[in-house]
Amino acid sequence: MKNKAIGIVGLILIAFIACLAIFAPLIAPYDPNTVVGPSYTKPSAEFLLGTNDVGYDIFSELVYGAQYSLLVGLTSAAIAAGIGIVVGILSGWFGGVLDSILMKITSFFITIPYLPLVIVLTAFLPKGFISMSLILGLVSWAEIARILRSQTMKMRSREYILSIQAMGVSHWYVIRTHVIRELLPLVTYQLILRIKASILSEAALSFLGLGEPTIKSWGSMLYYAQAKDAFMTDAWLWWVIPPGICIAILSFGLMLVGYMIEGNMDPEMEAAV
Amino acid sequence: MRNLVHPVFGERGIPLKSKVFHYVIMIIAIITLNFFLPRMLPGSPIATLAGEEAGQMTEDERDRLMSSYNLDKSLGEQFLIYLKNLVTFQWGNSYVKKQPIVNLMLQALPWTLLLAGCNLILSTLIGTLLGAASAFLRKKRKDLPIVLILTLLSSLPVFWIGMVLLSTFGVKLNWFPIYGAYSMFQNNSWFAAIGDVLHHLALPLFTLVITSLMTFFTTSRYSVLKTINQDYVSMARVRGIPKKRVQFCYVMRNALIPVFTVFMMDLGYILSGSVVVETVFSYPGLGSLMFQAVSGRDYPLMQYSFLVVSIMVIVMSFLADLLYKRLDPGLGVKNEK
Repeated sequence: MKNKAIGIVGLILIAFIACLAIFAPLIAPYDPNTVVGPSYTKPSAEFLLGTNDVGYDIFSELVYGAQYSLLVGLTSAAIAAGIGIVVGILSGWFGGVLDSILMKITSFFITIPYLPLVIVLTAFLPKGFISMSLILGLVSWAEIARILRSQTMKMRSREYILSIQAMGVSHWYVIRTHVIRELLPLVTYQLILRIKASILSEAALSFLGLGEPTIKSWGSMLYYAQAKDAFMTDAWLWWVIPPGICIAILSFGLMLVGYMIEGNMDPEMEAAV
Repeated sequence: MRNLVHPVFGERGIPLKSKVFHYVIMIIAIITLNFFLPRMLPGSPIATLAGEEAGQMTEDERDRLMSSYNLDKSLGEQFLIYLKNLVTFQWGNSYVKKQPIVNLMLQALPWTLLLAGCNLILSTLIGTLLGAASAFLRKKRKDLPIVLILTLLSSLPVFWIGMVLLSTFGVKLNWFPIYGAYSMFQNNSWFAAIGDVLHHLALPLFTLVITSLMTFFTTSRYSVLKTINQDYVSMARVRGIPKKRVQFCYVMRNALIPVFTVFMMDLGYILSGSVVVETVFSYPGLGSLMFQAVSGRDYPLMQYSFLVVSIMVIVMSFLADLLYKRLDPGLGVKNEK
C-alpha cells in the first residue's frame, strides 16, 4: 500500500515535468532564445524567474529545457536497454562461445570509468542531440545486459521452460513468448534507473560545456550561470536554483516509480522503501 | 533484485590468472582507444592542431606540421611511435598551459587522490552505517524518512549542490574559501598549512560525500535486510544473545561483503564525480585539468587526462579485487551454484 502511494507520488512528479515539456510553447511566455529584457532582471510578474546575463527569460528557458532533458534521457535509456536486452538474453539463453564473447565485451564496458569516457567521446565527436543520446546509450548498456543474462540463465533451467522446449518449439518462440514477458518488470526497472542516470549525465556534460550551445537544457543553463560567476551575485537564487530543482523533481520521481516496481518484483523485501 | 555480486566476475571464484588477464586487456584497450580518439575527430588534423591559424598556413608549413606530428606516416607506424612516447612519458605539451602534460598530471594527481580518497572513506563509512541503521529500524517502520531524504539527495546533480554550497558558505557567509586547494603566498608552519588544505577541502569533499552516500546506503540496507531474515540470526536471538551483539557480530559481518563489492564497482564512479566537483570549486586536480582541456579544445591534454584517470580506476579495481578474496574466505566455495 505504502509502496503504491510512493509510486503515485513519483508518477505525479514525472507527469509535471512531462507537461512542461509537451506544452512548452503554451506555458513559456517568451521564446527562450530571444533577448526579451535587460540582463540580470530580478524575478517579477513580467519575468517570473528574472533574466540571465544576455536578457533571456529564465522561466522560458527552464520550460524548454524540460524537452531536451526528457528526450535525451528517454532516447539514450532506450538505446541502452535495447542493446542490454539483446546481449543479455542471447548470452544467457545460448551460453557457450557466444556468451563468453559477449560477456568479455560487457565486462569491458563495466570496468571502464563512465564519466571520463563520456566526456572524451562528447568532446571528440560531433555535438547535438543524436550524438549525445547515442554516446550515453552506447556506453551504459553493460549493466543491464549482465543482470538480464543472469535472470535468463535462471529461467532457462526452469521446469516449464524445459517442457515447452521438449515439445519442439523454436528458441525464438520461447524467448518471445516467455522469457521477455517474464523479464519485463526487471527491464522496466532498469530502464527507469537508466533514464535517471542519463538525465543526470546529460546535465553534467552540458554543465561542462560539452552540450550543443544552441539547445536549451538545464545543464547548459547552469553552465552559463557558472561561466558568468552567477554564484557571486544574488542572481544565483533565480538562475542556479530552478534548473537544479527541475532535475531533482524529475530524477526523484523516477526513483520513486523505480521503488514501486522493485517492490512488486520482490514482495518479500517490499523493495527499498 | 539488487546487484550484490561482482559486476565482472560474478559470485564464483575466478583464478587470479584470468583476472590479471582481464585487467591487462582493459589497459591495452584503453591505450588503443586513446590512440584512435583524436583520429575520430571530424575535419583535417591540421585544423585541430593549429586552430584558427590553419587557414593562413602555406602548403609548406602544413607539411612541416604534419611531419612534426608524424601524421605523414602510416597508421601502424604512428601507433608504434605513440606507444613509445607513452612508455617514455613523452606526452608532449599542453596547448592551453604551454607545459609538458606529464608535469601537469603530476601536479594534479595528489589533489584528486586526496579528494577522492577522503570521499571514498567517508561516504563508505557514513553510507554503510546509515544503511544498516535504517534496516534495523525497518521493523518499527521508522525507516522511510531516511530513505526518502537520501533518495532526494542522490537525485540532485552533484555540480548543482556544489554551486549552492559555494554560494551559501563560500560567498555569502564567507566561512570557506571559494577557490583552489591551498592559499597562495603563505609561509606558515606545516600545522597551519595542513589546516589550510583541509579548509579548502571541506566544501568539495562535503559535496561529493552527499552524492556518493546513496550507493553505499542502498547496498548496505538491502544486504542487512536480507541477512536479518536468515534463520541463524533469529536462532541467535532465541539463544538469548544480546540484540546489539547479534546486530554487529551476526548480521553486519556478513552483510558487509556486498558493500565491499559495491565499493569496488564504484571506484570509477567516485573518481568521475570529482571531475565535476573539482570544476565547480576550481580544485586543481585531474578533473579541473580535464575541464580546462575540454573548454580550451586542448585535445592532447584531454586525451591523456582520460588515459590517466582510466588506468588509475582499472588499477584500483584490480587491487580491490585482490583484497576481496581475503575478505570473504568462502568465496568460490559456498557460492558455487
